[in-house]
Amino acid sequence: MAPISALAQVDRTAAETQIKAAFLYKFSGFVEWPPKVFARPDSPFTIGVIGADELAAELEQIVKGRTVLERAVVVRRMRRGESVAGIQMLFIGQAEGARLAEILANAKGQSVLTVTESEDALSHGSMINFVFVDDKVRFDVALPQAERGALKISARLLAVARKVVTSS
Amino acid sequence: MSAARVWIATIAALAAFAANAQTGKPSDLADLSLEELANLEITSVSRRAERLSDAPASVFVITGDDIRRSGATSIPEALRLAPNLEVARVDAHQYAISARGFNNTIANKLLVLIDGRTVYTPLFSGVFWDAQDTLLEDVDRIEVISGPGATLWGANAVNGVINVITRRAAETQGTLLVAGAGNLERGAAARQGGKLGTDGAFRVYGKISDRDHTSRANGTSVPDSWDSGQAGFRADWGTAAGAFTLQGDAYRGTIDQATAGDIRISGGNLLARWARQLAGGDRVQVQTYFDNTAREIPGTFEERLNIFDVEFQHALRAGSQHSVIWGGGYRRADDHVSNTAAIAFLPADRNLRWGNLFVQDEIALRGDQLRLTLGTKAQSNPYTRTEFLPSARIAWKPDASRLVWSALSRAVRAPARLDRELFVPGQPPFFVLAGGPDFRSEISNVLELGYRAQPSRRASYSVTLFHSVHDHLRSLEPGPAGPVIGNEMEGKTTGIEAWGSLQVAERWRLSAGLLVLDQNLRLKPGSGDTMGVAAAGNDPKHQWSLRSSLDLPGRQEFDVMLRHVGPLPSPAVPGYTALDARYAWHFERGLEVALIAQNLFDRSHPEFGAAATRSEIERGLFLKLRWSL
Repeated sequence: MAPISALAQVDRTAAETQIKAAFLYKFSGFVEWPPKVFARPDSPFTIGVIGADELAAELEQIVKGRTVLERAVVVRRMRRGESVAGIQMLFIGQAEGARLAEILANAKGQSVLTVTESEDALSHGSMINFVFVDDKVRFDVALPQAERGALKISARLLAVARKVVTSS
Repeated sequence: MSAARVWIATIAALAAFAANAQTGKPSDLADLSLEELANLEITSVSRRAERLSDAPASVFVITGDDIRRSGATSIPEALRLAPNLEVARVDAHQYAISARGFNNTIANKLLVLIDGRTVYTPLFSGVFWDAQDTLLEDVDRIEVISGPGATLWGANAVNGVINVITRRAAETQGTLLVAGAGNLERGAAARQGGKLGTDGAFRVYGKISDRDHTSRANGTSVPDSWDSGQAGFRADWGTAAGAFTLQGDAYRGTIDQATAGDIRISGGNLLARWARQLAGGDRVQVQTYFDNTAREIPGTFEERLNIFDVEFQHALRAGSQHSVIWGGGYRRADDHVSNTAAIAFLPADRNLRWGNLFVQDEIALRGDQLRLTLGTKAQSNPYTRTEFLPSARIAWKPDASRLVWSALSRAVRAPARLDRELFVPGQPPFFVLAGGPDFRSEISNVLELGYRAQPSRRASYSVTLFHSVHDHLRSLEPGPAGPVIGNEMEGKTTGIEAWGSLQVAERWRLSAGLLVLDQNLRLKPGSGDTMGVAAAGNDPKHQWSLRSSLDLPGRQEFDVMLRHVGPLPSPAVPGYTALDARYAWHFERGLEVALIAQNLFDRSHPEFGAAATRSEIERGLFLKLRWSL
C-alpha cells in the first residue's frame, strides 16, 4: 500500500542491511586468510560486493577509518563476471538471484570468504549465508567450502552461527 | 537517491551525531560484538527507523513486539497502544474506535486496512470490529496515521488510517502454538510455516476464542458472550526485485443476544498482490481481492456482502527532484440485506461502485532538507459526483534528528448506505428515521503542524497540532413522517497529539502519550435537528498513557501500562484510569509464559454508552503460553 507502508518496509530492509554490513566487517576479525592473498605488504583488505548497492554504501560508511589485519579496508562494487583476484571477502546480494551459482563457481577454491543471503546458497558453494530468524539476522556456515579456500574460521564465529555444516 | 539511501545517510549522520554528543568515539553497529549483532532484533532497530521517519504526517507505529508485550488478544485491544487513537470497549464484542473525535459505535471517519484490504463496511463506512482478526503473533506492525490520508488511501480516511501489516511468510517459518485462559476469555492458536520451492514460503494458521458476557453496573448480566474461529494462510514468492503474495482468511463467530437467537457472523477473503521493481528504481504494484462477509442479527437485519477490489500503483522518479506516485483503483460491492419490521435498508439489494485516480509528487526543494508533497485524488462514489481530495505537505529537516512538517488537506466522507437508505421502522411511515435522499458528502478541511525530534539516541518525541473545519456533517432534519438524515451540522476540532519514548537503560524503556481534543460542533441556522451534536460522537477532552517495558535478568519481562481517559460528555461516562501489567518468563526451546492483568485499579468500569444500557469492562487476568518450535 501507499507510501508510509512502503517507507516502513524500506526502513526495515535498511535495518537488516545495516546489520548485515556490520557482520561482514566483523567476520574479518574471525577468519584467517593465507598470507599469500595480499600481493604487497600494503595491499588493502578488499571486500567485494555484488548485487547489493545499499549494503555496499553502508559498508563504506562502516569501514571509513577502520583497519582489518592492520590494513586499510576497501569496498569494491563488482559486476558479475569480474575477477575475484585481490578480493578477500565477497558478498553476493539476493538481487543476483539465479546467477548466484555462477558467481560462486567463479570464486570456488579461492581464498575468498563468500557470504550470501539466499536460501540454499551453501549448497551452491557459499561459505556463510545470512538467514532471518525470529526478527534477527543470523548466519549459517559451511566449513568444507572454507577449508577448500584455505580459510580458517574461528570457533567463536562458529559458536554464534545458527548452523554449521561440517560435511559436504 | 532512493528512500533507503536517504535513510541510511540519516542513520549514519545520526550515529555520528550521537557519537559526538555522547561518547566522542564512533559507536555504531560495527562496534557491537558478534553475539550482540546476532541478538539484535530488527523490530527494535526498525522502531528507531520509525522514529526517524520522514513522513510529514502524524504516524504512530505499533510494532509486533509492542503487541506481544501488551498482552493484547485482539486488534482493538492492541490499538489502545496508539496514543493518537480513541479506543472504547462497548461490550464483549463491540468497540468504538476513532481518531480526532467523532467516536461512536458507528464511527465512520477512519480507514482500516488489513494487509492492504479495506475492512470498513459500505453499510455505514465504519468497522465491525468483531469480524476483523488475524493471528496477532504474525502482525509485523500496525501503522496508525491520524489526520487525513485521503489523497493516497481513500475517501474514508478523514480522521485517520489504521494499517495492520502482517509479516511475510518467510519470517514466520516453523510451528507456533499459543494458548491462553483467563477469567474473561480463553483462546488457542496454531501456525505452521514452510517453504515453497526455492524462493517461496507459506504459512497457515487457525485460531479459536471465546469471551464471556459482560454485566451492567448493577450486576445484571448482558447477553453478549462471543465465540469465534478463524483460519487463514499467506504465501509469498520472489525477492525485492519482484514479489507475489497470495493470502486469505475465513472466519465465523456467534454472539449471544437478548432476543430471537444468536447473532452469526462469517466471511472469507482472498487477496493477490504483485510488486515489481523496474529498471531505474521504478516500482509497480497491482493488488486485487475478493471479500465476502455475512452478518445475521435475528430480529434486526441480515446482510450478505461481496466486495471485489483492484488497484494499481506506480512509483517513479522524474529528474533529481521529483518522486511521483500515481495509481488508480476500482471497487465493487454487491450488498444484499434482508430487512425486518424493525429496520430496513431500501432498496434491499444494492450494487455499489467506486473508482479512483490519484497522483502525488514529492519535490525535493533543497536536497533532503526541504520537501514539498503535492497530491490529489479523484474518487467517484455511488451517491455524489466525483469528489476531489487534494493535500499539500511540507517537511523541513534542519538536521538528521529533527523534522518540522505542516499539511493542509481536504478530506471527504462520502455517503454510506446508512445515510441514504436506512429506514426505521422497516415499513412506512418511517416515523423514527428515514435515509436522506439528498445526503451529500461530509467535508473536512484540516491544517496540521508537527514536530518530531530525536534529541539523543535514547530519546524521541513527536508533537502534532491540528485544526479541522467540518461542514455538511450528518444531522437529523424534520421530514414528512419523522426525522430524515441531512447535512446541517458544522464545526471545528482542535487538538494536540503527542508521544515520546525514552530508553532509560539498555533494558528499560518508557513511553508516554497524550491526546487533547477540543470539539465545537453546532447545528446550522435553519436546522431542525432534535438529536443535537451528541449524535456525532462522544469524545474525551483528554487522554494520556504511560508505558514501561523492562527486561529482567533470567529472560524475564515486566510491562506496565497506565492509561487515563477523560470523561465523555453525552451520554455521560465517567473518566477512568486503568492499569495493565504483564510478567513473562522465557524458557528454553522458545517457550514463553506470560501472566497478564488488565484494569487492575477497579473491579470494573464503563467505557462507552448510556448508564442504563451500557456494559462494564471488568478486571481481567490471563495466563498465556506461546511456544515457537
